[in-house]
Amino acid sequence: MTRSPGEPRRVAYLYLLPGFALFATFVLAPLMHAAWLSLFQWDGITPGTWVGLDNYKAVVSEADLRRAFGHSAVLLAFYAALPIAIGLLLAGAASRARIRGLTALRTVLFLPQVIALAVVAVTWRLIYQPTGWLGNFDLALPAVGLVGTWVAYGLTFVLFMAGVQKVPQSLYDAARVDGAGALREFFAVTLPALRGEIAVALTLTTIAALRNFDLVYLTTSGGPGDATTVPAFEVYQRAFRGGEVGGAAAIGVCLAAVIFVLTVGINRVADRAART
Amino acid sequence: MAQASFEGVVKRFGAVEAVRDLTLEVRDGELMVLVGPSGSGKTTALRMLAGLEAVDAGRIEIGSRVVNDVSPRDRDVAMVFQDYALYPQMTVRDNMAFGLRRRGLERAEVDRRVAETCRTLGLDELLDRRPRQLSGGQQQRVALGRALVRRPQVLLMDEPLSNLDAQLRVQARGEIKRLQSEVGTTMVYVTHDQLEALTLGERIAVMNDGRLEQVGTPEELYERPANVFVGGFIGSPAMSFLPGDDGAVVGVRPEHVRPWAEGLVGPLAGRVAFVEALGRETLVGVDTDAGARLVAAVEGRADYTVGEPIRVGLVAEGMRRFGADGRPA
Amino acid sequence: MIDRREQVLAHVVLGLFALIALAPVAKIVVTALGEPGSFSTAWSDGHFGTYLRSSVLVAVAVVAISSVLSILAGYAFGLMRFRGDQLLFYVLLLGLMVPLEATIVPLYYDLRDLGLTDTYWALILPQAGVSVAFGTFWMRAFFRSVPRSLVEAARLDGASSWSTLWRVIFPLARPAVLTMVVLVFMWTWNEFLLALVMVSDEGLRTAPLGLAFFQGRNTTDEALLAAGALIVATPVVLVYLFLQRHFIRGMLSGAVKA
Repeated sequence: MTRSPGEPRRVAYLYLLPGFALFATFVLAPLMHAAWLSLFQWDGITPGTWVGLDNYKAVVSEADLRRAFGHSAVLLAFYAALPIAIGLLLAGAASRARIRGLTALRTVLFLPQVIALAVVAVTWRLIYQPTGWLGNFDLALPAVGLVGTWVAYGLTFVLFMAGVQKVPQSLYDAARVDGAGALREFFAVTLPALRGEIAVALTLTTIAALRNFDLVYLTTSGGPGDATTVPAFEVYQRAFRGGEVGGAAAIGVCLAAVIFVLTVGINRVADRAART
Repeated sequence: MAQASFEGVVKRFGAVEAVRDLTLEVRDGELMVLVGPSGSGKTTALRMLAGLEAVDAGRIEIGSRVVNDVSPRDRDVAMVFQDYALYPQMTVRDNMAFGLRRRGLERAEVDRRVAETCRTLGLDELLDRRPRQLSGGQQQRVALGRALVRRPQVLLMDEPLSNLDAQLRVQARGEIKRLQSEVGTTMVYVTHDQLEALTLGERIAVMNDGRLEQVGTPEELYERPANVFVGGFIGSPAMSFLPGDDGAVVGVRPEHVRPWAEGLVGPLAGRVAFVEALGRETLVGVDTDAGARLVAAVEGRADYTVGEPIRVGLVAEGMRRFGADGRPA
Repeated sequence: MIDRREQVLAHVVLGLFALIALAPVAKIVVTALGEPGSFSTAWSDGHFGTYLRSSVLVAVAVVAISSVLSILAGYAFGLMRFRGDQLLFYVLLLGLMVPLEATIVPLYYDLRDLGLTDTYWALILPQAGVSVAFGTFWMRAFFRSVPRSLVEAARLDGASSWSTLWRVIFPLARPAVLTMVVLVFMWTWNEFLLALVMVSDEGLRTAPLGLAFFQGRNTTDEALLAAGALIVATPVVLVYLFLQRHFIRGMLSGAVKA
């Protein structure tokens, strides 16, 4: 489409330049540099050696790394699945019953999202102190997971509430006239309408689960032993404590790739479901 | 003040031709109305005149200067938008002064012009208000004021009254007409309402599907429509059409369709399709046995029932013949 | 229309989860208040005053830089047509998905080579880069919602793209800008990993990092730790309480649009 006379075109690049330059320098370039670094074995001080894709092979072959990614998968249940279920429950309850003070409710439930994860970690470490779960080999990971659940269910609740409020009242009335009880109403009307919001919630919570560093570092430091290691923690360990910069970079790139694939995948599925 | 003109102008949006080969002249100081159904290209033509759309072929001139590549600010045109597009966070005064200040006019001159235009449009009390504190009619006048204060060569108006209620619209129409004769600026006015076109325009350009169908005075368009489209579009209630002999189409206005009497062309037999009592006259729709739908205008009240058989005749002088291609035969 | 039982049940469930959300916060507050003077001790001996100052400096810098640049870039993406606008936008979207965990390693070594580690720049520049990506996306959405006729009226009035942006459109953008500012402030204030990696000088520590070290140093005095935690969390929580509508609406529409 030809532009009309005097319509800004080339000047657009000037407006873009400063922001894009900053973005390219501190986000895009490092990403590519990470990909480059991941092909080397490097301790950060002496010159590195080329190893090709060995660092990536290590991600699947090394037990430690497999375990870290495995823990991430477990945490997905706590950081994503559980909050979504709770959010749906709460949104369903709030929309069906006449709730006064919805704003206050939202403010309270969303509060955990606003608090720095470092503070959350310190707080929950205090709370878990008397129970000793964070020191228990089998319970440490679920304990950390529950913290993530606590942080996230306010977000899913708010998301689903916003979605529910877009559902026309007439759909609910029709269901009620048909004699639907609370449960049927939820599955027949509410849930299908929230497909888009569920996709968004899934995306956000999954990314948070995969990126999870602050909580692990400040509650268990990956312990006891390596019962709670996660990929992001491995990145930190290997790059800055273990002298394996290349390996760390590879893990980081893998994280980015997984996040990308999951984001696109979730939304692709949601789109297709919406079209049926 | 000067004339404006389109010469063989074409505008395409992708594969769609929104304006086809438009050649039209707007005379100095006249109020030219572009009218047509939505999608006819009238708004696109106006926007090309403003410089808000690029021209794909042909020439646009303003004041005998080719302006195809001239940016809107240098064309010396001003525009009143359909949604008024008033700057929301500025007062009425600042809205009107904005364009003048952008051009570097001196403070004193800006104030003088704003005051003058406000007086003409009766906006004096509103100068310090913001657009959201104004009624629709007031906003419309401010939009007009903002355009006029620039003393443009051509004033462009894109359906400026369509957001007003019916009564206000009639009032505003009268004001615009009065304004135009007072100030004498060349105006190009776009509307989809043929009645508005007939009331306002000195000359009217009827557009359809990107093409200019006819340009002329209201009388010319009403009495001598150039083709079936113009005949059916101009005038309310619309012209009725029935097949004539040898493939021709005959158009006739409701005032020339009467209950059958001697001296009329016909008779045409049919059944009453609808009855609309308008007070001063009654419109009677007739489905003829030949299959055409005619509308007759009967004076005063008429007592017909739907489905009743009826015979009608046509006034010979009111019949317009059009050939098979839609043009007058 | 729905029976009493369900009404009560719903309130109970919601109340329960609201309490669960608040309980840890309450515990921290109670613990901190348990020992009088813990706040002032945390502030001075715990150096939380210094940490807050660093956090404020970094947050203000990041917000200022990224807001201005986001408005400019969002304006271009939202209201101008130019070659490559689709492509550049997709690159931006892609960048939004890149986690800091993937770029932290090269960022550290590059900034170390430039001698910028252990300076505020190491904290400001990367976060500004990430925030500009979000901000541009956010402001673009806003600019696209501006009625085209307004921009055209300004063009006919002879306004340049710069005047149109700042004199005509920006006054309308205040809510959108405020939301962006609030979100970027929160994310920057709460950032931990970047500070952990880039900064070793104690005087440059931001609040969350300061808290981490405090926890490491201080294993017995719970009240002191709780006080420190509260000091770190309070600024954002305060802003949140005043502007929670902006927070929530911002995160919702940002997420949905992405």
